[in-house]
Amino acid sequence: MDKFSALYQRVKSVCFSTLKENMFFFQWILSPIVILAAAFITNGIIIFLFGYNPITAYGAALDVTFGSPRGIGETLVKSTPFLMTGLSVAIAFKCGIWNIGAEGQFLVGALAATWFGTKIATLLPHIPWIAVPLCLTLAAFVGGIWGIIPAVLKVTRGVNEVISTIMLNYVAIHLVSLMIDGGPLQETSKTGPQSDPIVEWVFLPRIFETHRLHPGIGIAILLAIILTYVLFRTTFGYQLRAVGEGAAAAEAAGISIAHNTLRVFFISGALAGLGGAIEIMALVPHRLTENFSPDYGYTAIAVALLARLHPLVTVATALLFGALAKGAFAMEAEVGISRQVTLMMQAIILLFVIGSSAVKFFRKRTL
Amino acid sequence: METDNVLVLQNVTKTFGDLVAVDNVNFELQAGEIHAILGENGAGKSTLMNLIYGLYQPSDGSIHISGKPKIFKSPRDAIANGIGMVHQHFMLIENLTVAENIALTVAQFSSRDGTIDSVESDVESASKDNGTPIKLNKFRYIKDDAIQLTEALSHRFGLTVDPSALVRNLSVGLKQRVEILKALAVDARILILDEPTAVLSPQEVTGFFTILRALQDDNRAIIFISHKMREVLEISDRITVLRHGKKVYHGKTGELSDRGLAREMLGDELSEIKRKENRVTTDLVLNISGLTVLGSRNEIAVADVSMQTFRGEIVGIAGVDGNGQRELAEAIMGLRPSKFGTVEILGMQPSGTKNIRRCGVGYIPEDRRTMGIITSFSVAENLMLNITHFEHLAKHGIINQSKKNNAAMQLIDTYDIRPPFVKISASALSGGNQQKIVLAREISPQPELLVAVNPTRGLDISAAQFVHKNLLAQRDRKKSVLLISTELDEVLQMSDRLYVMSRGKLIEATTHRENIETLGLLMTGETETDG
Repeated sequence: MDKFSALYQRVKSVCFSTLKENMFFFQWILSPIVILAAAFITNGIIIFLFGYNPITAYGAALDVTFGSPRGIGETLVKSTPFLMTGLSVAIAFKCGIWNIGAEGQFLVGALAATWFGTKIATLLPHIPWIAVPLCLTLAAFVGGIWGIIPAVLKVTRGVNEVISTIMLNYVAIHLVSLMIDGGPLQETSKTGPQSDPIVEWVFLPRIFETHRLHPGIGIAILLAIILTYVLFRTTFGYQLRAVGEGAAAAEAAGISIAHNTLRVFFISGALAGLGGAIEIMALVPHRLTENFSPDYGYTAIAVALLARLHPLVTVATALLFGALAKGAFAMEAEVGISRQVTLMMQAIILLFVIGSSAVKFFRKRTL
Repeated sequence: METDNVLVLQNVTKTFGDLVAVDNVNFELQAGEIHAILGENGAGKSTLMNLIYGLYQPSDGSIHISGKPKIFKSPRDAIANGIGMVHQHFMLIENLTVAENIALTVAQFSSRDGTIDSVESDVESASKDNGTPIKLNKFRYIKDDAIQLTEALSHRFGLTVDPSALVRNLSVGLKQRVEILKALAVDARILILDEPTAVLSPQEVTGFFTILRALQDDNRAIIFISHKMREVLEISDRITVLRHGKKVYHGKTGELSDRGLAREMLGDELSEIKRKENRVTTDLVLNISGLTVLGSRNEIAVADVSMQTFRGEIVGIAGVDGNGQRELAEAIMGLRPSKFGTVEILGMQPSGTKNIRRCGVGYIPEDRRTMGIITSFSVAENLMLNITHFEHLAKHGIINQSKKNNAAMQLIDTYDIRPPFVKISASALSGGNQQKIVLAREISPQPELLVAVNPTRGLDISAAQFVHKNLLAQRDRKKSVLLISTELDEVLQMSDRLYVMSRGKLIEATTHRENIETLGLLMTGETETDG
């Protein structure tokens, strides 16, 4: 018995010291790889149980997502909304704010872009250089305002932001329905629950004529770089991180928790709102429809957590989720695996991601 | 006589690393007695109780229950051996009813032999009149049974409480009753009460003592931990005094007067202190008038406090933990709103911690790990965790990395923070070195006013001396220091003027500096200051 416990102690101390020395490697490289490997193996087993060859299926998915320039471009397009909402979640969580509202902020951003693109842009000179930045700014602002609502509730009334942001997601979803289904933004022909397409001079232009790759991913990556710089090199980012990592210590140091909550919620909302606008402005059919977002704002939580809330790493995880979305279609189309199985796969990956990183994360602070 | 001892500790020692928390303590507890344990903070009372309750295991020595040596791996084992503990912070499920809380405890330990039978027989005898013996179903919660069990228990010991009331709606005193009922429900023969009266009003204390007497008549043994001398003298049969982990006194209640006990508690071999001439000026730095602050439970934590500190002096506030010191410090720092009164710093009334800090106020908080440092941040990031620091290190909001690292390296050097790396995470540092980070950050800018709460807690002697040297240096620079500490020695040694804080009130005590007994009485809430 004693021998065993001595051995156990030794193994434990060796493990801990290796872990401490190679913290960076474990946290940023090994841990995501293990998580993803576990998820893919589990999925492989499921695919196998449904009677398909998992290797062929994964091969097809890989080929479609990264096998050709076209595929890579398509993956980038798919990744953009994940990256924008992922950044939105990452910055909020980094500040200890559980903003679950990226979905709603994404939608109101899209709504603002649609309104601008269908109603306002017609009154402006037909010049993209004026209309596009205006539209992006407006959407970011509206998203930010939508994000400020739960911040104000939290700061002034102590309302838990998890609840208020989830509720505001529903408000946003139904607001979109209201606007495009019989509301002022419904298409002029009034046939379906969708808006008119936005006017052409608010489009985000294609980079190549023959491919729908757009500058949105560039904007998103640029924002990821800026956010990383802001977080780790400025007093503003330092304060945000201090509030997130140790609110009491930050407060004692003279950092205002209320101010930083308001600021971070605005930024978080603006990022998600911008993401919504980019989707409207860059992709055909350039109009707001019902079910415009396939839960980008919720998947974003997994995107951000898998990246350990680091904006630059979020670029990589967003790419992964974009590839997953694209690859799932490929497996359906080319291997014949039913859509339900591919949807299940995505959910399993989320479970692995959230199960591994979120547990550590949420344990620190009860919601 | 021997057979009467339900609990015996023989030469029990508990060490944490180099720290000896409990040093070779012998202790006996007889059935049917109330045995008080007195001691200052850090005297080893809690450690000793945690040893008995199985939270800690002794490094040396043995624990005997009813004559048999026992080893408790966890509180479960202790409970199985009839030991119950009522913690200072209640361990109740607030959203359940009283009966549900009781049933939960019983259910947890129902697999054990003996106890439940005896509870049932107790209860049976208690509820003979209505002829229904109560047994709790092991697998199913039956509301009526639980309520009956609770009623029977409370009837038997006079612990009146409504079984179907939600715990969260109960007053503190009633919650305490539920805690005691919980212990009795699993038939605890030995009850450990950790500062039970700290949360009670004087009226509630009287009722509480009646309950204790009833338990005593039932031949149960009670360990009563307190530092309120008057209560100890009133209720206990025997008293044991601990100081610095050692048993320094043991005897029947009444053998020593309250003054004698105070001397035992605090020790009278205080080191002679060579202090420089007091050079207090008349320049006001901190001016508090009529300050009333509410605590976390909305109780009055600081009651109508007025005080001043001047340039070139260290003002000490002594007192037992939890008498409002923390709230006072937080109110000065703008971290806790004041209900009445004003805090003036250098003639200004800055609002918010940010502005208070900008006036030149340094703060060494009591709770280092949550308020002093951010453990996941690097040492360098922790060394600039002060609004005036990081603003100083930045230009247009962008932090100058080399400036930041140089400043950190310099502080690490001056304050001997180990290991001497700027990038290492603060969580990798020992408690003493974490405290040095706080000290380096707060003392090095030479603030006009330094509010230091227990600045040497957890430091070894040389590190503590280093802190004291720095506090004195602040004084010699004609700055002002407010030293709030539960270490009486420290306060006596360091301060030019002395206050004692007790139950939220501040009592000027400079004139009692030499009279340790009077100080002890003031600290324990006795207000008469004669002779």
